[in-house]
Amino acid sequence: MTTRQRLLRARELSGQPVVTLGGEFVGEIKDVVFERSGGSIAGFTLRNPRLFSRARKDSLPWEGVHGVGRDAVMIPDPDVMVPTKELAPRKQARKADVLRDRVLTDNGRDLGTVVDVVLQGGTDLEVVGYELEASEALGTAGRRVLIPLPDTVAVSGENLIVPAAATEFVSEDLAGFGAAVDEFRDRLREGREEDA
Amino acid sequence: MLFSQARKSDVVSTDTATRVARVDGFVVATGPARVALLRLGKVTTEGSLLYWDDLQGFGPDAATIADASVIRAPDDELERRAESGELEILGKRVLTERGDELGAVTDVDFDVETGVVTTLLTRSEAIPGQRLIGHGRYAVVVSA
Repeated sequence: MTTRQRLLRARELSGQPVVTLGGEFVGEIKDVVFERSGGSIAGFTLRNPRLFSRARKDSLPWEGVHGVGRDAVMIPDPDVMVPTKELAPRKQARKADVLRDRVLTDNGRDLGTVVDVVLQGGTDLEVVGYELEASEALGTAGRRVLIPLPDTVAVSGENLIVPAAATEFVSEDLAGFGAAVDEFRDRLREGREEDA
Repeated sequence: MLFSQARKSDVVSTDTATRVARVDGFVVATGPARVALLRLGKVTTEGSLLYWDDLQGFGPDAATIADASVIRAPDDELERRAESGELEILGKRVLTERGDELGAVTDVDFDVETGVVTTLLTRSEAIPGQRLIGHGRYAVVVSA
């Protein structure tokens, strides 16, 4: 089993400083921009840490992130920034959002709606799960739960499809969730090997 | 030697055997981490910067130079930042490249023969100098 980096909710990154490996402060994370395809993250919009500061025209693309930790989002240098409209074209941006999407299992059970995305931090960044507002199907209806993602996710407009086995690895907090993600992915891998 | 011990050392010119300045601060360069410049105070001539390579020696009681002409005034943006103290790493927060803070730099250990930075000290950690990636106004960044 792999040793996991710290897990965190994407929306917790709001307000985190963005710092270059050269030790310069670039701005603060404003919002997470979620990507439609694959339910992953396109990047982050930025703000200057002053009251009434104007919105910034540059954003941080996901590929430009070097590391994400407890105290900062690290980037190699300020050149990784892209114009915000490149990251999320304005009209598309409102729709291109995994939040509030319905999560369905591949055998057709509605597990709930996405309220946040769970990331693996460190320098090996990855989207590893979703936080859902659980539906009746999970027996914890109305509560927020964490559900692991396989390496790839099928996405179709407003539904995210996950393997039914994911429901066996639901966690209520981040503490045990890293292990759940690993076990879930190991199970899927074993399944694939048996099929082969 | 620690920055805290080396600070306030006299800078003595060996041609006149007189004290020409006092060490006020250190500018650390990266790749590999080493003291590149000394920031001087109480200078008897023009300028306030002294390149490590222009030193004759850095002993327990004084830093020595051949003559005071090697002390320079800032000439470019980097040297101006050095003179202003902006590039000082003492007191700055340390971040790993993964974005975790390790506290503030409380002291720095360096080799007086070569200027190589051997250890960055925080209240709770001794970080090998080789881990230094960069430093700027906001933070000192080290490898994870």
